[in-house]
Amino acid sequence: MSDSGAVSTGGGQPGAAQGQAQIPAPPKMVKVFVDGTEVQTDSRDNLIEAARRIGVAIPYFCYHPRLSIAGQCRMCLVETSDAPGRLVPGCQVRVKEGLKIVTTSPAVKDNQRGCMEFHLINHPVDCAICDQSGECKLQDYYMEYDHQPSRIRVHKLNKPKREIFGPQVVYDAERCIMCTRCVRFMDEIAKEPQLAVVDRGTHSLIATFPGQPLDSQYSGNTVDICPVGALLNRDFRFQSRVWFVNKSPTVCTGCSNGCNVYAESRGEVIYRLLPRRNEEVNQVWMCDEGRLTYHASNEKRVEWARTGRGDTAASVGPRIAVDRAVELLKPLAGQGGIGIAVSAQCTNEEAAAAFQLGAQVGASRYFLGSRPQGNSDDFLIRADKNPNTSGILLVAEAFGVKLEVANGIDRVKALVAMRTDGLPAEKLARLEVFIAIAQNEDAATAEADVTLPCKSVYEQDGSLINWYGRLQRTWESVPAQRADSAAGWSWAERILTGLGGSGPKSAAAAFRTLAEKSAELSGLSFDQLPEDGIVLEALLPRDWPARAPRPLPGAHSVRGPQTTPPGMKVGDEASGGSR
Amino acid sequence: MTESGLPDTDPLALEAEIPTSPMTVHLGPSHPAMHGTLRLTVTLDGETIVESIPEIGFLHRGFSKSSENSTWHQVLPYTDRLNYVSPILNNTGYIMGVEKLIGLKPTERAEYLRVLGGEISRICDHLTCIGAIGLELGAFTTFLYAMEARELLWDRIAELCGARVTVSWTRIGGVASDMPPGWEQHLRDCLPRVLELTNEIDTLLTRNRIFVDRTRGVGVISGDEAIDWGFTGPCLRATGVNYDVRKAHPYSVYDRMDFEIPLGTRGDTYDRYVLRLEEIRQSHRIVLQCLDQMPPGPIIIDDWRYALPPKKEVFGSIEGVMAHFKLIMEGIHVPAGEVYVYTEGANGELGFHIVSNGKGKPYAIQVRGPGLPILSALPRLIKGHAVADLIPIFDSINMIGGEVEQ
Repeated sequence: MSDSGAVSTGGGQPGAAQGQAQIPAPPKMVKVFVDGTEVQTDSRDNLIEAARRIGVAIPYFCYHPRLSIAGQCRMCLVETSDAPGRLVPGCQVRVKEGLKIVTTSPAVKDNQRGCMEFHLINHPVDCAICDQSGECKLQDYYMEYDHQPSRIRVHKLNKPKREIFGPQVVYDAERCIMCTRCVRFMDEIAKEPQLAVVDRGTHSLIATFPGQPLDSQYSGNTVDICPVGALLNRDFRFQSRVWFVNKSPTVCTGCSNGCNVYAESRGEVIYRLLPRRNEEVNQVWMCDEGRLTYHASNEKRVEWARTGRGDTAASVGPRIAVDRAVELLKPLAGQGGIGIAVSAQCTNEEAAAAFQLGAQVGASRYFLGSRPQGNSDDFLIRADKNPNTSGILLVAEAFGVKLEVANGIDRVKALVAMRTDGLPAEKLARLEVFIAIAQNEDAATAEADVTLPCKSVYEQDGSLINWYGRLQRTWESVPAQRADSAAGWSWAERILTGLGGSGPKSAAAAFRTLAEKSAELSGLSFDQLPEDGIVLEALLPRDWPARAPRPLPGAHSVRGPQTTPPGMKVGDEASGGSR
Repeated sequence: MTESGLPDTDPLALEAEIPTSPMTVHLGPSHPAMHGTLRLTVTLDGETIVESIPEIGFLHRGFSKSSENSTWHQVLPYTDRLNYVSPILNNTGYIMGVEKLIGLKPTERAEYLRVLGGEISRICDHLTCIGAIGLELGAFTTFLYAMEARELLWDRIAELCGARVTVSWTRIGGVASDMPPGWEQHLRDCLPRVLELTNEIDTLLTRNRIFVDRTRGVGVISGDEAIDWGFTGPCLRATGVNYDVRKAHPYSVYDRMDFEIPLGTRGDTYDRYVLRLEEIRQSHRIVLQCLDQMPPGPIIIDDWRYALPPKKEVFGSIEGVMAHFKLIMEGIHVPAGEVYVYTEGANGELGFHIVSNGKGKPYAIQVRGPGLPILSALPRLIKGHAVADLIPIFDSINMIGGEVEQ
């Protein structure tokens, strides 16, 4: 920990310098009664969290487990034995020994109903055109706690609608219930106070400062935590109704942080990425750039397997394309002129299969292609914009391969590229043979003799290793098959078979082969990897960005493979998710 | 020519014993007399039925499984297709089960409307049965009379519900639509004609020598045996057992209705026919009483957790649109629990066993269709009879494929 001492709950991490580890004190447990049921709860819990431990839902809009307490919405008022005859906010009041909490008394129910009625006074009749419909707390709570017609007979207040806050966020003041979660998020988590409450009373609204748009790299999170449809993501807006998309866990490919996300897709199209809870990687947040990475999975894809460059290019189907690749490689195999290029965008399995192919053809050189470095900060954004640089290096080491920079490809006659990121296009034209296993059309695929469409990371089973050595699974999160596309390891396997060798028949098999060769991965297999990944301790760095989430000593992911502990569901709001 | 050279005049020569062996024939599933789609594998000794195996499954729709994947209201159209001749009775039975789970009471007017619609449906069901039994014994006229009466009533049902057969008319907490203006008079105008046609059928069949000979003493079953087989409804009451759910365990507003339960004595095809004829008259009485007693008022409860808000609220207020959205997209929330609700369907006790786990969709639904136990006794009823007797017996149990197979 570079800024040691200042962090109270951070603690050190295994592999870090000795003497800096701070192990948090075990929680002090107290006994409270929620609606007569005894609950053992952490003494730091508020009433909402205590009740949640036994599945009693106290409704709230403004409370968020990761933000400061505002007490804005008044939805969480409950009765306690400490203040008989009064209602107290469940978000603000902490538990104490023997406290009796009542969540179902007439006074509590009446307050919830009244709160809902007030929250809806100025709410427009927007459900039909609102993106939040289907995941909106107003809808949920209305049916749960109010379900009655409004008694308000005055006109609704008109407020600004469709106000562009920034590149990712659009604001609708009429839908806003002034919970101030977004304001607090920008202040406390993003540390860029770009939002504020302006005006008073019923006229109050959220606004940016004049001339200063909401351009924080974390602005998308305000949309996630907005309990209503006031803040909407401009990228997702009007693209799909939320109940049509299939939500599936995966890992963001935007940078080497490897934020855990959900991909929401229908058919072969991904509609948005949402953060998935993982305390040791991204907590419940993700950056705006990461949210947009799914576009590469939708747009400008290599759809069909083809042979030939330029005008002679023809879609010939996967089998003939693979045959052609074999035909081109066979005379050169063992001659020493073949290079293998692997991108840092590849999964470990794709890289392993590429190196297997390299061994089969007697490749003389191996290259690492990657996207250029980018901006970074001390929280979630890493400068390395490739999700699996650590993984590729580890796989290369396991296969005993020495990686060179991609600029050196003019030293080989033939090149097989497992993904084409960072390959110098001008040098590709001079290659005698260039076989590209590529996800997107780019300058490199234009020069390829054989182009094989590669599935995106969101579409295939695989594993990635993030910047600090966390091994995380990816899945076939997008259910539909896109054209001829197949995972990179699958193309490598088909070429290997054509050359008389053999390759992995599945991602799990590819990983198994890799695990046999790698000291760090030995003993691991796909079915042992928990959904939130495990830490390869040997890879842990010494220096950590100040606010980057990290595995704490004793975190279950560090000790080795095991399943998520009971009672804690990954990505579950119950333990403080983003929604 | 005989040996004596004289012509053979022995009248018994052709009546000599012919050696026979059992023959197996299939009746259905696409035979016009196999209502719905049923296959009967019948083993015959000459004309006599030795053994028969009914085989169902040609109309199987996966009712239970489909229901588990539908919201509570989306199950309703599936219930139309149980006994599709009297769908309102099925609708009511299912909805009563859901209401019992919730602990909800529909409005009084809705109760009356349900009974009214249900009894009209019962008349239609019985008309179909007695029309068909006449038809298949050669009395085509009675079938046409029955159909004319049924058409009159189905037109009224279409006016009331918007559909003749697949009505999906009841709702949790009430019904979907009230009587349209002038409808009551329409009904009052056509009921005498229905009764007249029923009497016409009565005159044509009940004392008809051919009909009586073909049905009396055919397909006899005793009361005790019928109970053992699980008979309910007209088939059970034809044996003299007095069990009608409407009287034995009155539900809805049946306790306010003045009607009688006709009973048979012999439990044969003839009794089952006469009993249905009489039940038409009793249902007619109930319909008229419903019309007389029906109170004004809402046809569905005003609780947006269960009933859709009025359209004015849906289009004009955020509360209405949210309630509408949640009810349509997620369905109503029925408390976790398990109920068995039984009503008098047209063919007997129609039971719904409903399990809820508190979510927007049923956890499980099973139906006790009255037709299945009765159909399972068909081999017993037709054994020893001629093939020609199979048809009226099968008609009189009024198997409806939809409820037998679900």
